[in-house]
Amino acid sequence: MKTPLLEIEDLHARVQDKEIIKGFNLIINEGEVHALMGPNGAGKSTLSNVLCGKDGYEVTSGTIRFKGKDLLSLEPEERAREGIFLAMQYPVEIPGVPTSTFLKHAVNSIRKHQNLPELDTMEFIKMMREEGRKLGVDADMIKRPLNVGFSGGEKKRLETLQMSILKPSFAILDEADSGLDIDALKVVSEGINSLRDGQRSMLVITHYQRLLNYVVPDYVHVYADGKIVKSGDKNLALELEEKGYAEFVKEK
Amino acid sequence: MSDLLQNIKLIGDQNTWISNLRSVGYKSFEQQGIPSPKNEAWKYTKLRDLKVDDFVISQPTNASSEITLPFDCYRICFNNGWFNPLSSNLPQGVEVLPLIEVIIMRPELHKYISKVADIDSHPFVALNQAYLQEGVFIRIDKNVDLKRPLAIVNHTSSGSDNLFFNLRNIIVLEAGSSATLVEYYGYEGDKKSRYFANIVNEIYLKSGSRLNHCKVQDDAYKANHIAFNAVSQKQASCYKSFCLQRGANIGRNETLVNLEEQEAEAEVNAAYIMDGWATLDTTTDIKHLSPYTYSHQLIKGVIGGDAKGVFQGKIHIAQGAVKTEGNQLHKAMLLSDGAEVDVKPELEIYADDVKCSHGAASGELDEEQLFYMRSRGIDLEDARQLLIDAYLNEVTTKIDNEKVSQWIKLIAQENRK
Repeated sequence: MKTPLLEIEDLHARVQDKEIIKGFNLIINEGEVHALMGPNGAGKSTLSNVLCGKDGYEVTSGTIRFKGKDLLSLEPEERAREGIFLAMQYPVEIPGVPTSTFLKHAVNSIRKHQNLPELDTMEFIKMMREEGRKLGVDADMIKRPLNVGFSGGEKKRLETLQMSILKPSFAILDEADSGLDIDALKVVSEGINSLRDGQRSMLVITHYQRLLNYVVPDYVHVYADGKIVKSGDKNLALELEEKGYAEFVKEK
Repeated sequence: MSDLLQNIKLIGDQNTWISNLRSVGYKSFEQQGIPSPKNEAWKYTKLRDLKVDDFVISQPTNASSEITLPFDCYRICFNNGWFNPLSSNLPQGVEVLPLIEVIIMRPELHKYISKVADIDSHPFVALNQAYLQEGVFIRIDKNVDLKRPLAIVNHTSSGSDNLFFNLRNIIVLEAGSSATLVEYYGYEGDKKSRYFANIVNEIYLKSGSRLNHCKVQDDAYKANHIAFNAVSQKQASCYKSFCLQRGANIGRNETLVNLEEQEAEAEVNAAYIMDGWATLDTTTDIKHLSPYTYSHQLIKGVIGGDAKGVFQGKIHIAQGAVKTEGNQLHKAMLLSDGAEVDVKPELEIYADDVKCSHGAASGELDEEQLFYMRSRGIDLEDARQLLIDAYLNEVTTKIDNEKVSQWIKLIAQENRK
């Protein structure tokens, strides 16, 4: 018996006056990895922002349940503490805030919510050293201001590192491969794969099939004009790569 | 005002030198009065509710300060503006004397009193002179490098409502000496207490000396705190200052620097954090009077509620003061719709071949940055605080003394609700 983790039902959402999501339905069960593919402007980023509760996106109808709870009534930080994580396409730079300070706040906010004791500086450094090694994030990198002057690859590695230390039950990877060369792509996908433990679920949002060679999804959905127009297994991604989106967009 | 002065018996009335000085100050204040908004120097900081008659001159108190500083220092304590005898022994070459003792017993030091702090066009300096009595005289001997900071701590105790006190500190660094001076103005008890502190520092930096001056104005939120720092700098001396303003209803920290000889350098930095209906004012006047003199200013403010931040910064480059460099930058972060900032930079340049710059910027907390942190589980309040700390960090890290810098960062982080 599969346990649903995320249930999105007939979701409609708009930005200012423009409706972007137009009747989106998706159920993701525990342990599943879903890929959401679609052309530019399909509303992929809007969906991830709505899931994380960013301001400026208005849900006009529909429901989102996460672990059975009404997700839409929660603040962004509450969603994160419930176990939702968004690896961003363009992680923001925050001058003046050392990466380590930020990470320690994040880890302890989530531990506090889980009734776990907060990590002290020594414990935190030890954890960072272990997790950072796997992703090639060294102590120097986390002393620097958050994302400031980081290369595209460094930013993505840091996003992946955050995912591995915050241990979310559901991760959204928004264009996790953009701006990565082939070596960086391998490191990041290994990081992502190491978090696939049969329990944790993921939604991989991507333009290209490339990333899906490394992070092989259980399901693939084609997303166009605000809703899912076709679903299938990993082979659908290959089909898309060959034929392009035009055919699916027409189908609607 | 006149009644007030007559009712107060100041120490040293028999001494002609001091009684003359006081009466000159008194007359000058009477002429100038509390500045109105028509006074250009006080255009943005409105004092209409400040009336000297509403306050009572502070009397000596036996209360001793409980305020401790989290770093090793020589403490010079005042309670409600009254000097407490020094508790620790000073090393050789360092003199710390009550000002009144210097006035009465050491006429050879009179040349430092009321010299660089000019009463004309500074009504509160005139007022301070009318009440001249409390304060310290600090002198660091030639080539003495004082590692441990000297800390002037004024502590306003409970029941200090409507108290008025004047402090005058004279700081003299002889040639080649160096020191760190910390000033802390705090209060105990009623945070609504409405006192009036009027502080004047006269600082004399002889050639090659170096003063690191850090001030924290952490007053009760209905207090009025008006301070004037006047600095005279000789050849190749260095004045590096930082002021954190927090608290007070009206707080003004004004700094006049005279770069009198070549290679003199001044760095005047400040940060202010405010809420409620406060007005916090940073006013600077840097006078480049000689060639090859340098000044740098960075002032950053965080303004919430219906509060108002004021920055007036003047850089004056005198005729012939070539090859000088003066730069100035003010940045404010506005946290609410009611927050206001008024900025008036002024450059007066009478020499060619100089480098001068000024800039001002204001902004708000970045929504994208806040969302990023919240999406990682960090509370909105914590996220805001992290961004505010980061914002002020740019200026608080400029404080030369690591321990003092840490202490000031912690004060800046404390939320006063």
